Amino acid sequence: MYIVIVGAGAAGFYVAQLLSREKQEIVVIEQDEEAAEQVRRELDVGVVVGNAAIPRILWQAEVQRADLVVAVTGVDESNMITCFMAKELGAKKTIARVRNPEYSGYLLVGGKSPYATRKVVRPRSLGVDLFVNPEIEAAREIVSILSGLYVTPMEEFADGRVQLREFKADSAAVVGKRLSEIPFPRPCTVVMQGHGDVIGVPAPDAMVTKGDRLYLVASRKDMDQLGAIFEVPRRSPRTVVVFGGGTIGFHVAESLEKRGVQVKLIEKNVARSQEISSRLKRTVVIHGGRPDRELLADEGVANADAFVATTGDESLNILAGLVAKDVGVSRNIVVVDEPEYIPLAEAVGVDVAMSPLLLCGSRIAHYILHGGAVAVALLGKEDAQVIEFVVGANARISKQAIGELEWPRHAVIGAIVRGDAVMLPARTTTIEPGDTVIVAALIDEIPNVERLFKSL
Amino acid sequence: MNIRIVLKYLGVPLGILGGMLGLPLIWSAAIARDGAHVAFIVPMAIALLGGLALFLLVPVEKRSLSRREGLALVTFTWVSGSLVGCLPYVLSGTLPTFVDAFFETMSGFTTTGATVLTSIGGQPPSILLWRNFTQWIGGMGIITFFVALFPMLGIGAARLFEAEVPGPQAERLRARVVDTARTLWILYVGLSLVLFALLSLVGRLPVYDALNITFGTMPTGGFLHVGDSIGAYADRPFVTTVVTVFMLAAGVNFALYFFVLRRRSVSALLGNPEFRLYIGIFVLAAVLVTTDLMSRLGMPLAEALQHATFQVASIQTTTGFTTTDYDLWPNLARAILLCLMLVGACAGSTGGGFKAIRLLIVVRYSFRQVVSAFSPRSVMPLKVGGETMSESVVAAIAGMGGLFIMSVVGGFLFMSALGLDAMTAFASVVATIGNVGPGLAGVGPSLDYSFIPDSGKLVLSFLMLVGRLEFVTVLALLSASFWRWR
Repeated sequence: MYIVIVGAGAAGFYVAQLLSREKQEIVVIEQDEEAAEQVRRELDVGVVVGNAAIPRILWQAEVQRADLVVAVTGVDESNMITCFMAKELGAKKTIARVRNPEYSGYLLVGGKSPYATRKVVRPRSLGVDLFVNPEIEAAREIVSILSGLYVTPMEEFADGRVQLREFKADSAAVVGKRLSEIPFPRPCTVVMQGHGDVIGVPAPDAMVTKGDRLYLVASRKDMDQLGAIFEVPRRSPRTVVVFGGGTIGFHVAESLEKRGVQVKLIEKNVARSQEISSRLKRTVVIHGGRPDRELLADEGVANADAFVATTGDESLNILAGLVAKDVGVSRNIVVVDEPEYIPLAEAVGVDVAMSPLLLCGSRIAHYILHGGAVAVALLGKEDAQVIEFVVGANARISKQAIGELEWPRHAVIGAIVRGDAVMLPARTTTIEPGDTVIVAALIDEIPNVERLFKSL
Repeated sequence: MNIRIVLKYLGVPLGILGGMLGLPLIWSAAIARDGAHVAFIVPMAIALLGGLALFLLVPVEKRSLSRREGLALVTFTWVSGSLVGCLPYVLSGTLPTFVDAFFETMSGFTTTGATVLTSIGGQPPSILLWRNFTQWIGGMGIITFFVALFPMLGIGAARLFEAEVPGPQAERLRARVVDTARTLWILYVGLSLVLFALLSLVGRLPVYDALNITFGTMPTGGFLHVGDSIGAYADRPFVTTVVTVFMLAAGVNFALYFFVLRRRSVSALLGNPEFRLYIGIFVLAAVLVTTDLMSRLGMPLAEALQHATFQVASIQTTTGFTTTDYDLWPNLARAILLCLMLVGACAGSTGGGFKAIRLLIVVRYSFRQVVSAFSPRSVMPLKVGGETMSESVVAAIAGMGGLFIMSVVGGFLFMSALGLDAMTAFASVVATIGNVGPGLAGVGPSLDYSFIPDSGKLVLSFLMLVGRLEFVTVLALLSASFWRWR
């Protein structure tokens, strides 16, 4: 697959790194000489220096044979123009990062009906197949974590029939036991086990130590019960403190507010806090900068159900999350940029650290459909993926019993969905055409998995 | 720096080298039957088993190479490759002393072609084939081969590749380094096959001769299996002409061939500023040498033109083939050849020397300094072929020029200290650092390097490696801060 990535900022660099590890052919277009040099030095990808919103530069990057163009510069308009021209030149698919949510929003415009609203910016007519907005994605993810029963992240597959959820081994029911000894209340597959920096497919009798991350695949209806052996289910929060009123913070506050949650938002910029205050109805906006104990205690963080740190400064977010925990908040979520900091932050006392970049990468990975794959989730830093495949009539894997397959070593089937039924894999289960199969695999093993789902 | 990871991956190129020893072994055992096969079996076993043992047994965590490890791996590969590759000479008795054999092997791998063999005629054919084959391996580089064949290092591969491919910037023809390395090797093998086919089918040379000439020409090496070089084929003008053309072709940046093939137009080649300069230098030098030969020696035009073009092409591309003893030529012709040794071929080719593109940039850079003396405010970006060179590239080239001069001066003083006369000392250093081979005076085309003391041979071997890997790769390992605080 030939992929052109425009912009070598944090997001572009990350996506290029992710995809080059999958051995795709990649060219990065970057205007800044120094940033381009860094890509050249650190990634095994081609580099074109120049402004990608110029057809000549796009042509130089051979965008006409690109299977995918990902425009992730810092400028929304430039990204859209780039995608538009790339499409005109013959690129197959395009993704643009558009930060300003107003572009994808609805607008009241004069028309036949006085109350008719419509979208003025329609991605398709701009030659863009997908808008990604890392900040909005992050806000959504935060809200979904907060409104779930458990603190850890979750992904859905097979139209929501199957869930993948990460749990931390912390409770006496799992720590110090072998996987086969854990009394799971409902059927599930443990597809991956993360221990420190390493992630891999666990053996049936693998030992679970405190702090390990277990990735469970199960039917949606079973997941809530399964989680109970890892942690005490939590009620949805009624009071949340959001630290930082940037795009992410604002959107978290806005959607929590709509769900009836009481929100306090702390923002350091006076003008911005006034703007937020006027745009949100019930959220209390507080003007404050440093996340010291006094400020957080004064604003009742100790009695809040959750604390979310979303400023643009990742180190400040981690610190704020730690101070909040110290003051007494029961759960904290912080936003970091660098995916490598996630396990570090979680090791020092952050419940959930999340990276908009990782989410952005996930969204784009979704789009680069692997063989017959339809959905993808990234696990750990980026070492493993969970992929949803639909079995074609002639697929190599079709009509075979799982026990008889020559299955790749670092991959595992999580669940099989046939019609509405969710089945967990057994040695005797036969895979039929039309089944949806959810597979977890280490990145390096993905080509071997894809081969099984290709037609004979 | 983790030395274990370097040792582990050192196993792969060693193993590759072991495989490569199979060619002379088969030739010795099955075709020539010259009884030298034992001399190949031993190093082959050492390289294959040692390489396998290093790769499989050295425990390291799975990760890519750091910059330091990359530089160390490349240098270690070339040195250890020469240590193993010289064993056939020692074991067969061709070159009984180890220093001689090491010099000869390093000269082969670096495509220099400087020899210490006093009598070439009486040696086993398989040994001579190996001698030429080392050049062909070293021409495109064993590290590049490793990167192309074993995509296991991720971005570490790019660092290795850049350390081995000559030129200011290792051009990535394709987005991925693995594909780039493969493309280069395919082009190299392809051109070699064309040359071999021309020599054996059209030129009607025996397979052994055609093979040896190909192995000497394509990497711009200079070794040959006959004592008087290409002069032995003086009665076959076809061979001389084909070799001249292919020497010149091997001195061109291989990236240009790729672009010509991909875009199906020769403008990528003809419009390239470095290629134009390279051909310009060739034509100018050939014309000057021809007139010098005609006026001073009274040579007829045809003969003068033939010798001049061949010799200029051979020296400029740093091959080092000869059709005649050019050391007997008039002073101007000799001086031109000496200058050509310094300039060398194009970046990204198999040739050595300072490289035409660097010369172009250094000349423009120097003139810019002159202009800025009287017009300090004028803005003068350095342009090559319409593209502005970034100041960092210019600075890197200026620095490389400094290293080049320092190495030549240092080597010259050392060789003079060993008792060589000035011309011989200077020519020996220039001819080895530029990977040319034959020099002038005492190391002229009719003579060899055998009279030089052992310490001199080791220094020259070192200079060949420094010249082939273009200074920084090897010199980095010699700097104290490379090893301190790693």
